[in-house]
Amino acid sequence: MSAVAFKSAVDEGVVEELRAIVGDDERVLPNVSSRVNRTRVPAPFPVHRWADHMPDVAVLPRSAEEVSEVVKLANRLRIPVVPRAGGTGLSDGAVPMRGRGGFLVDVKLMNEIHEIDLTDRTVTVGPGINMLKLNEQLRPHGVFYPDDPASYPCSLVGGRIGTGGWSLLGARFGHTRDLVISMQVVLPSGEIADIGEGGGRKLRKSSTGLTLKHLFTGHQGTLGICTEATLDLVPRPEVEFAAFFAFDDYMKAWRTTGSLTKSGLATLAGVVLFDEWKLRYLRRDDEAYIPQPPDVVSVIAVAMYGTRAEVEPASKVIMQLGRSEGGRYLGDEISQGDWASRHDRYATPLHGRTRDGQAVPMSWHCEDAALNYSVLPQVREEWHAIVDRYINEYEVFDDWGMFAYTNGAHRPWADYLVEIDVGIWEQRLDDETWEAWVRCKREIAEVSLKHGGSITACHGATREGDAELVPSEMGSSWEVVKRIKRALDPNNIMNPGKQSMDEAYR
Amino acid sequence: MTYSPSGDGELQREFVERWRDNAYGCFSSGHKFCREVCPVMQVTRNENHTPTAFHANIVAMEQGLASVEDVADDYVHCTQCGACELRCPNTLFTGDFYRHRTRTVDVVKAMRALMVATGNEQPGYRTWNERLAEAHNEPVLGDVPVSQEHVADWAAGLEIPVGGETILFVDCEAAFYRTSYPRAFAQLLRRADVAFGLMREQWCCGGPAAEMGYVDLARKHAEHNVEDWRAVGAKRIIAPDPHDYIAFTEDYPSYFGDDYDFEIVLGVELVAELVREGALELTRAVERTVTYHDPCRLNKRRGVHEAPRALLRAVPGLTFKDVDHVTQWSYCSGGGGGLPVEKPQIAHEIARRRVDRAAAMEVDALVSACPWSERPLSDAGALEVIDLFELLAHSAGIEVGGHASAEVRA
Repeated sequence: MSAVAFKSAVDEGVVEELRAIVGDDERVLPNVSSRVNRTRVPAPFPVHRWADHMPDVAVLPRSAEEVSEVVKLANRLRIPVVPRAGGTGLSDGAVPMRGRGGFLVDVKLMNEIHEIDLTDRTVTVGPGINMLKLNEQLRPHGVFYPDDPASYPCSLVGGRIGTGGWSLLGARFGHTRDLVISMQVVLPSGEIADIGEGGGRKLRKSSTGLTLKHLFTGHQGTLGICTEATLDLVPRPEVEFAAFFAFDDYMKAWRTTGSLTKSGLATLAGVVLFDEWKLRYLRRDDEAYIPQPPDVVSVIAVAMYGTRAEVEPASKVIMQLGRSEGGRYLGDEISQGDWASRHDRYATPLHGRTRDGQAVPMSWHCEDAALNYSVLPQVREEWHAIVDRYINEYEVFDDWGMFAYTNGAHRPWADYLVEIDVGIWEQRLDDETWEAWVRCKREIAEVSLKHGGSITACHGATREGDAELVPSEMGSSWEVVKRIKRALDPNNIMNPGKQSMDEAYR
Repeated sequence: MTYSPSGDGELQREFVERWRDNAYGCFSSGHKFCREVCPVMQVTRNENHTPTAFHANIVAMEQGLASVEDVADDYVHCTQCGACELRCPNTLFTGDFYRHRTRTVDVVKAMRALMVATGNEQPGYRTWNERLAEAHNEPVLGDVPVSQEHVADWAAGLEIPVGGETILFVDCEAAFYRTSYPRAFAQLLRRADVAFGLMREQWCCGGPAAEMGYVDLARKHAEHNVEDWRAVGAKRIIAPDPHDYIAFTEDYPSYFGDDYDFEIVLGVELVAELVREGALELTRAVERTVTYHDPCRLNKRRGVHEAPRALLRAVPGLTFKDVDHVTQWSYCSGGGGGLPVEKPQIAHEIARRRVDRAAAMEVDALVSACPWSERPLSDAGALEVIDLFELLAHSAGIEVGGHASAEVRA
């Protein structure tokens, strides 16, 4: 049937059973192309080991019942199940671990809007819907769903829930887990469970039973597959305000970031801090960069959303705080334009430099962490030193600088999603350089842990380089994690191997 | 077509070599912003039918993981509308510096040519192009054959001469199916005293054959047409049909190089100029409420979106409810790139969704400017579909004649 052998217990008979479940041959795809195209996400990928990561068969369900039957079949036959929504994540949550194969459950066809409730302010959707598309439908009603990652035009609600997504507007409106009110989940047993606050589908807070909702956001597909979600609807903001400030010194920018986030302005949606390496990279290789004088080494972007009555006076406070440590306002055109193109801008890098300055095609990897405000300057130095060592040792890496983004939902003053962007010459990857990359990732993660941080704020610590550190990060709670995983997934079929959860079965 | 496995391998290698860097530009960023604007993907939601898959497949072929046969069906799922290329962040943000535009339409065309060359033809495309090879116009009337004998029937009573310095090119869908469209256009030109003639022997432009991978057949038609133009001393070719315009400005120059020195005039731009200059007066009020469908080959492939809007705004009495051309990057009629030939249900669903969007705007008609879009949009049934030239002719007081379907053929 295929040039690439199946890795799990999938055979022609199993494929037939899947066809019987969904009743549509077009939605059970064991062919090479369907598997090849569900093997990768935008994270760097060992191209030379592509086949190792291929699923055995892709299934495109249309309903929770179909997902349930597929998972029951997998559970009966001990076949791995990997859920996939947009496949736009940065840490391989939506692809099989090396050598495991199995069913890839692709939920993109489940993209309906089931209900828009303008009275109790919820929208209920399938996991395959994209936020931009959802907001096109919500716009006429004067509401919006403010989950706004860099991948806003392409990522899907199901993946946002599975990975515990982070939003550029999170300081104002919350991140994915704050915006999901309840959901329907197919458990590893195939049972369908309604998960929310207590028993209410549209309640934002309850104290009945256990608070399961957070358990089922950000599990990286290891505890089940979301098949429906009820999301919060927010009044469409009357005003958007964005301001960019330039600095001749990173520490001034860092202190200004602190003042802005501690201002107490409730309309503050996010602050982004660009470090010196980021500015150097933009200047060097980003053709969309608008040239700034050489003394500009750090930049802050601030955004606010809300009513005119709130944002207009608050913007005056922002302008004052932004300039309080010598920040120079970059003007309305850059501020509004760069903020408006925030989604497109994240995908720009197509090329980087070898250490002798040669431009080469590179793919982009973004290594994230959750860190407190106090440690940002120090972590930045240690991370760049690590990447610099790997640049000097291998020809395939480049340092594209760091961003720090406010990470606390509604409380932006002390938590940051911190990213270092590393260019990788993917076409040159082989076993040696891939292993080097994995070591580099691990060293970056170890720095985060040393400074009281977490390996990942939103990408997920799913695969090698990160996954082996999850037990030490979780510490005394790792036992709890393992017990929950084992209880819900006794046969270890649900996205197995991610986050070192195989340890639950040893 | 002889099937030779060893020869195929060589052809596949050449294809991969030609397209790998372009493919890698997508593969290495992999952000998939193109997906939700892709008209096919919006319907099938199948990752194989995405522009990212069209590029990733090439990298997979290079890695020895897939063959032409493995990926052939993926590339049938495309209308060649070009939305993905516009939405690609690589195009948007690195275009200026590197003069880069992610090429996806060309990749689909090249892969379809490779499919033909390696014995991986699609049955619908094969039949369609066999009939083109016989009749020299596309079989747009279904079972009823088209023929050279009737190719200029659309112009009955208009007494358009043959030949001259300016040739009006009317083939296939316009010549046989929606004849009201070329009649309206020709009479608008007449009204403005533009002199033009028809071809001696009018063949299909060959563009759709090229889109489906039938390269030799496409080229044969191009050679015939150019020869016909040269024989009458033509210098200027007017193409009202956007698909013809793409063939004349993208395919033909690649066939003929510097020898190809005809001035190619796009119909909608010519009419807009005539109205702007006062050579064509729109005097009759059209008391209707309409919205406009941006044909993909005008808006997405060539950035032509102002001229048709200017024309609509020039029609007295007309209420025009616009949807901006960027929003319409994700709209399509489903009629292009041979999709209705091989995947009619998907094409129909794309058209249905487009017309539903228009119907939700409380308009009483949808105006388009491309005959290939007008049939699927009309067939969707929810709204009357009017061609822009037909609307303008009406406003200019012209009785158009002709028909907007296959009905009057007999």
